[in-house]
Formats: sequence, C-alpha cells, structure tokens
Amino acid sequence: MTLVNRLGGVICRLKSLILGTAGTVFLASCGRNAPQDTFQPKGPNAQKIDTLQKPVFAVAGIIGVIVAVAVVYSMVKFRDRGQPIPKQSHGNPALEITLTIIPALILAVVGVFTFRTVFDLNKTSDTQMIINVTGQQWWWEYDYPANNEYGITQPIITSGQLVIPVGTKVMLRETSRDVIHSYWIPALNGKRDAVPGRITTNRIEADEPGIYAGQCTEFCGLSHANMRMEAVALSKEDFAKWVANQLKPYAAPAESTLAKEGETVFLNQCTRCHQVNGLTRADGTPVIAAPDENVWSGAAPNLSHLMSRNTFAGAMFNLVTPECRTDVWKSESVTFGAKYLAGVDEPCLNQTDLRGWLRNAPAMKPMYANPALLAATGGKYRGMPNLGLSESDIEKLVAYLLTLK
Amino acid sequence: MAIIERPVSLEVQPLIVVAPATPSSAMGAVKRPVVTKGWRQWVFTVDHKKIGIMYMVTAMFFFLVGGLEAVAIRLQLALPNGKILNADLYNQMFTMHATTMVFLFVMPMAAGFANYFIPLQIGARDVAFPRINAFGFWALLFGGLFINLSWFLGGAADGGWFMYAPNSGPIFSPSHGVDFWALGLQITGIASLTGAINLIVTILNMRAPGMKLMRMPIFTWMILVVQFLLAFAVPVITVALFLLSFQRNFGATFFDVAAGADPLLWQHLFWIFGHPEVYILILPSFGIISEVLPVFSRKPLFGYPFVVFSGAAIGFVGWGVWAHHMFATGLGPISVAVFSISTMAIAVPTGVKIVNWTLTLWGGKLWFTTAMKFSIGLIVLFTIGGLSGVTHSVAPSDTQQTDTYYVVAHFHYVLFGGAVLGLFSGFYYWWPKMFGKMLNEKLGSWNFWLMIIGMNLTFGPMHILGLQGQPRRMYQWTENRAGEGLFNFGFWNLVSSIGSLVLTVGVLVFLINVFITARNGKVAPLDPWGARSLEWMTSNPPKEHNFDSIPTVKHLDEFFHRKYAEDTSGQMQQVATAEEVLKQLEDNADAHIHMPSPSYWPIIIAFGLPVTAIGVIYSVPVAIFGGIIILMSAFAWALEPSTAPDTDFDPPTSSDTSKDVVHVG
Amino acid sequence: MFTPGSKYLIAITGLSAVSFALYMLLVHPSALGAVALIGLVAATSLITGVALFTRDGHTPDGQTSAATVDTPTPSMWPLVGAAGFALLLVGTITTPIVFIFGIVAIFAALVEWTVQAWSEGASGDNAYNASIRQRILNPIEYPILAAVGIAVIIFSFSRVMLATNKDAGAIIFIVVAAVVSVVGMLISLRPSLKKGIIGTIAVVAAVGLVGAGIASMGVGMREDLVVAAEEDHYAHQECGEEKSEHFDKGVSETISATSGVDATIELIDGKLTAQVQGIEGLQDSITVRRSNPSNIIFRNKDAGEFRLKANLGKKQIADGVMEEVVTCTQLISEGAEQWLTLTINKPSVSGEPYTLSIPGLKGQSIVVVVP
Repeated sequence: MTLVNRLGGVICRLKSLILGTAGTVFLASCGRNAPQDTFQPKGPNAQKIDTLQKPVFAVAGIIGVIVAVAVVYSMVKFRDRGQPIPKQSHGNPALEITLTIIPALILAVVGVFTFRTVFDLNKTSDTQMIINVTGQQWWWEYDYPANNEYGITQPIITSGQLVIPVGTKVMLRETSRDVIHSYWIPALNGKRDAVPGRITTNRIEADEPGIYAGQCTEFCGLSHANMRMEAVALSKEDFAKWVANQLKPYAAPAESTLAKEGETVFLNQCTRCHQVNGLTRADGTPVIAAPDENVWSGAAPNLSHLMSRNTFAGAMFNLVTPECRTDVWKSESVTFGAKYLAGVDEPCLNQTDLRGWLRNAPAMKPMYANPALLAATGGKYRGMPNLGLSESDIEKLVAYLLTLK
Repeated sequence: MAIIERPVSLEVQPLIVVAPATPSSAMGAVKRPVVTKGWRQWVFTVDHKKIGIMYMVTAMFFFLVGGLEAVAIRLQLALPNGKILNADLYNQMFTMHATTMVFLFVMPMAAGFANYFIPLQIGARDVAFPRINAFGFWALLFGGLFINLSWFLGGAADGGWFMYAPNSGPIFSPSHGVDFWALGLQITGIASLTGAINLIVTILNMRAPGMKLMRMPIFTWMILVVQFLLAFAVPVITVALFLLSFQRNFGATFFDVAAGADPLLWQHLFWIFGHPEVYILILPSFGIISEVLPVFSRKPLFGYPFVVFSGAAIGFVGWGVWAHHMFATGLGPISVAVFSISTMAIAVPTGVKIVNWTLTLWGGKLWFTTAMKFSIGLIVLFTIGGLSGVTHSVAPSDTQQTDTYYVVAHFHYVLFGGAVLGLFSGFYYWWPKMFGKMLNEKLGSWNFWLMIIGMNLTFGPMHILGLQGQPRRMYQWTENRAGEGLFNFGFWNLVSSIGSLVLTVGVLVFLINVFITARNGKVAPLDPWGARSLEWMTSNPPKEHNFDSIPTVKHLDEFFHRKYAEDTSGQMQQVATAEEVLKQLEDNADAHIHMPSPSYWPIIIAFGLPVTAIGVIYSVPVAIFGGIIILMSAFAWALEPSTAPDTDFDPPTSSDTSKDVVHVG
Repeated sequence: MFTPGSKYLIAITGLSAVSFALYMLLVHPSALGAVALIGLVAATSLITGVALFTRDGHTPDGQTSAATVDTPTPSMWPLVGAAGFALLLVGTITTPIVFIFGIVAIFAALVEWTVQAWSEGASGDNAYNASIRQRILNPIEYPILAAVGIAVIIFSFSRVMLATNKDAGAIIFIVVAAVVSVVGMLISLRPSLKKGIIGTIAVVAAVGLVGAGIASMGVGMREDLVVAAEEDHYAHQECGEEKSEHFDKGVSETISATSGVDATIELIDGKLTAQVQGIEGLQDSITVRRSNPSNIIFRNKDAGEFRLKANLGKKQIADGVMEEVVTCTQLISEGAEQWLTLTINKPSVSGEPYTLSIPGLKGQSIVVVVP
C-alpha cells in the first residue's frame, strides 16, 4: 500500500510530464487549499479510496495518451499523399483479440482491488461511536445517542457542524425527513445518500483536529446549493469538553437585560419551531417546540448552545465574522480545539447575516415560504418563513442568542 | 406496408411509378390525402426520407433550445453567487436542458438518420410500417412541444432529468412542470417504441437479396442494436412514469415513505431504463463514424465482425450495470461490488471499438474532410469520456466523484464528444445524399474547430471542478468553498462558461453553413466521397422509391466492390464509375412499383396524445375527449388499406417520376 | 311484404301489449300505469294499421332513376328500436338499469337506421350503398363494440376471480391464459380453418365466460373478501382485543423491509430484543428521530400469537382528560413478521419514556428514545 501511496506522490511530482488527455485530472489532484478536494484524504476511509483511485486515474491517463498518440500518428503518417488505394483488408483477428485481452486484464486487476476496498469500507464491527444524521430541506440534524464512554449521558442534538473526536471510528446512521439528500465530507469519506424510510450507514474518521467541509450532493430541491455541512474534529480531551458544554443546563439570561427581553421574543416567535433545551415559560412549564405543526419536514434546528457552532441556516452562513473564521479554520491542529471551543462571542458574531436572516430568511436562502405555494403541504412551510420581526425585536433576539453558549 | 413488386418480366419496359398518386376512392372514413405539394406533402407523408428529414429538423430545433438552456446555466455559473437565474429557474433549466438534449435532440436525430438511411442502406423502398413511422414522428414532435409547453404554464419540471422520488412528488414540486414532463416523455416514449418495432422489422425482413446480416452496413447494425435496446428499455421508463403520474395526479403512494414506500424503487426503474439509454444515445454515432472512417481511409472497417459483436455485447451488458448510478445510495457492499465489476466489463467492448477505429485509420489513405474530422474528433474525445467512465466504475472512487462536476465532464465527453460529434460527422457525410448539395467544407472546418475548442474549454475544466469537489446541480457556487491558487472554482468556472460561448459560435457556423448551402451551395456529384455502401447507389437526393431496381448484394461494402476490383497484381483498380453503377440499376428498372399512400391518421392520433395528457393534468373530460380522438382515428386507420388497390389509382402520367424531387439543402 | 316502418310498428305494438300484460300480472298494478300502457297499445295499433295500409307511403311503380330505386335490405334496427322502447317502458316501472339499456338501444337504432336509410338512397347498387354505410359507421361501430366486448370480458372474468378462492383463482387464470394462447396458436397455424368453426369456438367461449360471470355474481365474493371489507382492515390501526383472521398475510411481509429499516424487534424465548441498523449486537433501547416515519420490523419467534404495541405517551383529548397514544401490529403467529411505521412528533421526556412492548407479556419492553 505504501508503494501505491508513493506512486501517487510520484505522479503528483511528475505532473508536468503527464499532459494531454488525463493530465488535467492529475493536476487537479494536486490542488492546494481546496476545501472539498477529493484527492486530499484526511482520514483512513478517504485514504483507502485515495489509494485505490490514484493508480486508476494514472492508468486511465496513460491509456488515453496512447490512444491519442496512435490517432495523431496515423493522421500524419497515412494522410493522402496520392498513394494507391490500400489493400482492402478486413482486419487481423489475432491482433484484435490481443488488444481485447490487454484492457480486460488491466480491468481485472483494478476489479480485484476495487472489490477489496468496497468490503473494507463497509466494515462496521469495530465502530466506536454512533451519530444519527438526519437530512431535511435544507439542513442537517445530528443527534448523539447516549454513550457513557464519551460522557454523553443525555442524547445531544445539534445541527450545522458535526463534531467528532479524532482517531475515533464514527458511524453515521443517515436518513431523511423529506427527500433524498447525500452526506459528503470529501476529506473523510465518500458520499452516502440519506434516503427517507431507510437507514444508511457511513463510517468516518479524522486523523487530525480541524474543520472539514462538505456539501449535500443529492439534488434536493430549491436550496440544494445552500445545503452545506462542516465536520469538526476535536482531540479526545477537547471533545469531552464539547460534550460537557452541550450537556450544560440552560442558563436563563439575567433579569431586566436586553437578552431577557430577547428570551420573551424567542418564546413568542421562535419556539413554535425551534427547541432550546431547558427553556421554560414564565409559569415554569418547559417549552417543547412543535415544528411538526408548522414545518413540512417536521423539524427545525435545535438552538441549544447555538453559539458553540460556527455556522447557521444549514451551514450556508457563518455565525462568525470572516476574520474569526479564518482564525479558527486556519489554525494549527494543536491550538484548533481551544479556539473552536471558545465559541462565538459578540465581537466575532457575524451580525450582518444573522440580522438579515432574522429580518427576512427567505430573501437570503430560497425556501418555500410563499403561502401561495404551500397548498400542497396544507400550509406548512418548507424552510424558515419571514417572521416580520421589528428591528428592536431583532436587537433583543441577537442579544438573547448570544447567551446560548 | 410497402408493397414492392419484383420485376414480373425480363423485358425492358418504361418505368412506371404509381406513388404517391392519389387513390380516387378509398376505404376508410375519409378519402386519403391527395396533395403532393406544399406543406401537405410533409404533414401527411409516409415517405421514410421526408419523415427522416422532419425528425432531423425537429431535433435540430430542440438542440438549439437545449443549447440556449445550457448557455443560461453556464452564464449563471460563470461567477460566484450568479444572479442571472434564480434557484427555481435554474433547477428548471438544468432539468430541461438534459431532458431536451437526451429525449428531444440526440434520440430523434439518430431516429432521423435511421429513418432516412436504413431503407437505403439495406436496399429497401420504405420502412416496414410507413404510417406507424409517420405517427412516431408526430408523437415525438407533439410530445416535445408538450414538455416545453410547461415553461408557459407555471414553470417547467424542476426535479432533474433523473426526477428522483420523492423530490418529484406533488409536495416538493408543486408546479405542473413534472406532470408535463412525465406525460410528455410518455408520449415521446410511444414514438420511440413504435419506431423501434418498425426499424427492427424493416432491418430483419426487408433487406435486398444477398444482404446477409454480416453484410449489413455497420450503421444499420448499430441502429438494430439500438432499436432492441429501445424496445426493452422504454417499457421500463413507461412504468416508472405511470407510477409518477399516478402519484401526482391521482393520489397514489408509490413513493410516499409515510405509507411504507421505498424511494429507491424509482431509482432502480429509472436507471434500468437510463443506462441502456446511454447506449441508445451513443451507438448510432458509433455507427455513423464506422461508415465515415472507412470511406475516408479508403479501406474497409478494421475487424467488422468485432465491431458488430462488441456493439451487440454493449447492448447486452448494458442491462447489467444500472446500479452504478446508485453507488452512493447505500445498496450494500455485495451489490456495489458486483455492479462495479460489470461496469468495468462493459468497458472492454467499448475499447474494442476504439481500437478498431484507430486501426481503420492505420495504413489507410486518409482524406480529411469535415465529416472525417468530426469522426476522428469522436475517437479521441470519446476515449477521454470512456476512461473517466472507467474511473467511475471503481465504486469507492465513485462515491467521491459522483454528483460532482467530474461526472458532468465525463458524460459530456461521452455524449458531446461521442454522440454529438458523430451526428455532425453524419451531417457532413450524408448532406449531399439528402439534399443534393455539398455543405461548404471551409465553413465546415471552422465549425469543427470551434466546436472542438469550445467543447474542450467547456467540459475539460469540469474535470478539475469535480475533483475539487464542486457538486452538480447547484444554482450558485460560493467563494467560501472555492479554494485558492490555480485550481480554484472561480477560474475554471469562468473558462468553462467562455468555452460554452465558443461552442455556441461553432454551432451557429453550422447553421450558417446550412443556410449558405441552401442558397447557393455546390451541386453534389453522384458519389462525392467515393463511398462504399448501398445508399450511394441512388440519385442525389434519392427518388421517391429509392431504387429503380433492387440491387443484389454480394459483398460487404457492395457499392465499393461494384466500382473497384483487384487487378492481377492485387492492386485495387477502378472498374466502373458511380454513374455507371447507377445506370445499370436504372436500366433494369422494375416495371411496377407500389409505394404506400399518404394518410391523415398518423398525425391525428399523435395529436390526440397531448390532448389526453393536458386532460390528465387539468380536467378529466378533456382527457376523455383526447382518448376518443385516439380511439376513433385508430380504428379509422385500421380500416384504411395501407395501399389502395391498383384500380383505385389515377392513371400514371409520365411526369410523375421527377416532379416530386425536393431540393432542400 | 312488410315495409320497414310497419315492421317496427308491429314490433312496438306487440311489445307494448306484452309489457301491459306483464305489468298487470307481475307488478302491483296502479291505475295510472295501466291506463298509460293500454293507451300505448291502442296508439301503436292505430299507427301500425295506417302504416300497413299505406305501405309506408311508397308506391311500387313509376321509378325512373337509379337513385330512386327502392332497394331495401334486411335490417335489424326496427327490432332493436322496438325492443329499446319496450325496455324503456319496463325500466320506468322497474329498475333504472333497464331504462338505461332501453335508451342505449333506441339511440343505437336511431343512428344506424338513419345512416342506413340515407346510404340506401345513394344508388341502386346495394353493395355500393353498403360501402358508404360502412365508411361512415365502421369507425364508430368498431371501437364501441370492441370497448363493450372488452368490458363484458373483464367484468365477467373479474366476477369469477372474486368468487373463487385465491389458489383456485391462480389456477383458473393460468388455465384460461394457456387455453387462449393455444387456441390462438392453432388458429394462426391453420389459416385455412373454416370461419364457421372459429366463430363457433368464439361463441362458445363468450357464452361460457358470460355464463360463468353471471353464476359467480350469484355466488358473490369469497368469504375473506367480504369479511375484510366489513372490517375495513386496511384502516386497522388501533390495539383492540379483536383477533382478525382475515388480513392478507402477504402484505405484511414487505419485500423492501430487508434493508434500511431502523430496527428489527424480535421476540425470542419470552425476551424482547432490538437489532438496530448499523449497530452491532442486541439492544434494549432504540433511538428514533423526531417527526420522521421510522420503519420497524417485528418478528415473532415464540410459540403463540403476539403483537407488538408501541406506547407513544399521552395526548390531551379534553380539558384534563388524557388518552394513551398507542399503535400496534397485527397478531402474528410464530415465524411471521410485521412492519410498523412509527412517527413520533414530540421528544421523549425522562420519566415517561416511549416504549415498545408485547401485550400480555410483563417485564419486557424496548425503550424508544426520541431526542
């Protein structure tokens, strides 16, 4: 296997030599800083794929070059120079059969390795952690079933960023609440569709702490282009801190602050769909959101600990400003965990997009919020509607959301 | 059915052609159409050549429609956060682009070539079922217009040409676009199915004496394979589309998960149709270039039987690979591994073809006409598409690349670099035959190079984009994920968009070429290319009845062997000119040739189909009305004899033979 | 001897007389009905007499041109029309369906008769006249007769299939299909076969099929269909005490259930266990996504009949009145399996978990966590 790895490396270095047909393909594989590059594995599953595909691409490229050269050579060599009409030969079966068997053999070799890798990638017996991944138009929900080994005493439910510990074999159990979506973090593994009514499984594992980008890759309607995801890998200690933070009980904002007023706005407007664990009404009864009554998919992102995430609205927008984002995204893997766990505070908050979203969400992300189009769903929205909040309400809400650490 | 009488006596008699003379009285509900001039000679025709030309004109029209949709898509994606189209319109655009190009351009264009040239290539005077042939064309035209009608009635289909359930359901696609799409494809499916049966019967039953299967021109062979694929694949998509229509229009729950359905049902049905469909699209072009390459290399196709059998093998193995479109759906490792291997297996017969084409060039005497250039372009570009296809067959790799632009690059190299270049090669090669004029070679060269450069600029960068992880079907791409340096999305998306404009200019040059040729093109000599097969043993364009006498076939490449023979030293020497060969056929003209009579019913039945479909969407009584149109005209058709008996014809006049020759190009 | 018009009138007189007699004998006579019918008999008799006397207004002599040559051909339409009127009358006093048949017969006779009469005026050549008639009417007759023929075949055959039990139905289906294709093949192999023989075969087959259909209608639907229709078992959702024997066991063994189900719940040796897709080993709790139809398979591997019951919390049905929300599979015997789709809209609260249990089996349950 290391030989194959080295071969891949050699090919990258020799890229300038391999021009023509598949040359571009190889060049692409050596791209830098492409967050969704399919040739930059960052975990063992993606690495297995990479190890398999690099030689295949190389062989394909070489064959392509051979064909192109043969054609160009014949074009030059046999062009009409007034030579007599050639002999009307109908072929050469021996040559023909040889040229059939050679590609068949090459493919047979590729087939054997493919076979092995397919079964290798589908191994499930040594899974260490399970996360349920649910797609809906147009965001992903992650829920972590209770798992004492990782300190998850209560199920954790989150969205936007999938947080995993490094060096851990994580099993994603995927499904969808509406149409088919596909979960894909190129650096960690190939894609796997989230099919409604079915549970599909996909294993991922990250070698280093960091953020790995991905995107929904099964066409899922209007905002398919905006259904993104990010996988955040944390060291095991950092992951434990993250879990602890997620399990932290709800802390109501102090009385007579702007945030407290924001909580009231949130209770009136947002809890119809969005759950914040531990939030209670004035009379002390717990608030349970009812997205099933308002949204066709029956779900809306759980906003508990919103400020521990870096994205919102199906990872379409960053919850942090570009500077803070670069700071986290580009940091060394040693310091990454601490920076990520610091969460989002006021200076880093991406006020523009968040306020725009609260002001009129459908204007920022195409969604089915137009009542005329909701006849088929019996009036239920597909995506977040325009709530018609006043500017002061937005002010209060932002203050409140900032408390959801 | 074409009644073609064999010569009854050996005496040389003046040629009498009695078609499409008008039956003075005919059975059936109304008199048969009588006019052989103006628009009516086209609308009621059953002549395979006229129908072939109408297929091609229709296909070219939809090619332009689909091309404009493609340009709109590329302009939207040229820069990040494109604003030219909104999300909804973009989704409609890419859905309709694919639908149009697959169902309304490549398939009908291939059907047009097949219609025109199959009877000529096998030495027949028409297809087996001329009225069904006419019906097939009208159904295609009305079906195509019907699908596109949705643009004006609340928006076109927006679920992608694959129309995966449940995203295609009434909840997720509330406009009527998907209804129009499903019912329109149902109609074009009827067209394909009738065409397939017709051509299969024609090829198997109406070959000239002596034309054994292994003496058939390779284009005829490939079309035969394609028709068998159609005959088995179209029923599958018909079933799927019915399920979809019932789900949308009559409240069925075939894909409703809450009712216990499995959405993967649709994917299996769609791809069991959809993969053979890929070969339906590409094999006709393989056939065309397998005709063109030997002609301009001045030697026979290398390994004819291998090309034939590899075509047939593709036809068979093509049924066992559909799930490679579903590697990411979680089928389980066994299914994935098996389909992965079968997909690799299908690369072998495809490779055989490429080898044979290359070896046909080898040792030839190459004449680089535009037709030849397009054919050679196909070999190289299709090879690239084929090899990227092999990388997809490696299932784990495919889970990285599927649904990215890499796939878009792959199938555009296969379908544009393959199918479309082959069709253009066919235009240049057969234009003199069809219209009696030569397309301008100089403009042809411009056309070729602009298309080749445009196509590589458009689709080449998509390899890079895909491997960099840009997914398909996104109405916008964002700089957040674009990466940096030479391989960022921005540069290559822009290159691709510019390429699409170059490609557009290339296609425009073709249209200009057609226009100029029609105005004052060079009149084509009888055998401009030194061709090899039977269709060139006719006048340019062919007479209504194709052949004055049906030739007896003794060789593969019969026409060539009538012109050339080996001398004592083994050198090929010309022994007859094309004119002499044709003269020989004319001198032995059959005494009495019956051609099928025109009919109203094909177009009327075909018109009933979209009426019914409109009714299904908007109002059931309209559907019943459409059904009555279909039922009544079907019976009227059945009661109408295919050819009126002799006594029904007006006495022939001597001018009948030449007056209907139409110069179009 | 009789002109077409008088034939029709004689027929209608006769039939109205018959219907009067039947009315008096079979139906409870009312004064109005009796007067109406006797009036009809009188009126038709009078008109028939006039028609017979005047021979429909034709004069046998003095024809000069071919178009005026009277070349009547035999016609069944007077008879059909008359029968139609009779059916119309009988229908008015009995059931509507007879009335409808009467209308159809009258309408058909009207159209056919008109066109035939019109075509007979075309020339003195019967054959030519017939061809004109065919050109107009065949495109209408053929589709309608074909549609009627197909409808009769489908209706009769479907009655037979509904009356016989499932196994016999399959055998009948195969046998009929085989007979049809064999006979068709034989006929096509012997194109010289006399038309009479083919016609006889077709008539025998048609009579047999229609006869079987009528007989089956008399027998009625098979028992389990009747029961299923009464139970409306497709809507069968609640967990009552009822023990339906009549659900279609084939339906519950859903073929797509082998892959992608959320969990498989098995009852073995009195123990309830869960196998969850993607997780190794047996579980005692499953996590189900909120507001998402989740598919669960219940497999009974114990002797005896059991059902799986999902306890999905409580719901307020009135002020202060709570009702348990439950859903169930059917009772299934050993080795059988059932498919249950759960949609739970509210997250589970600790203390009151959602559970899956077996009624009548204490201490065994699977906790359903909804985050």
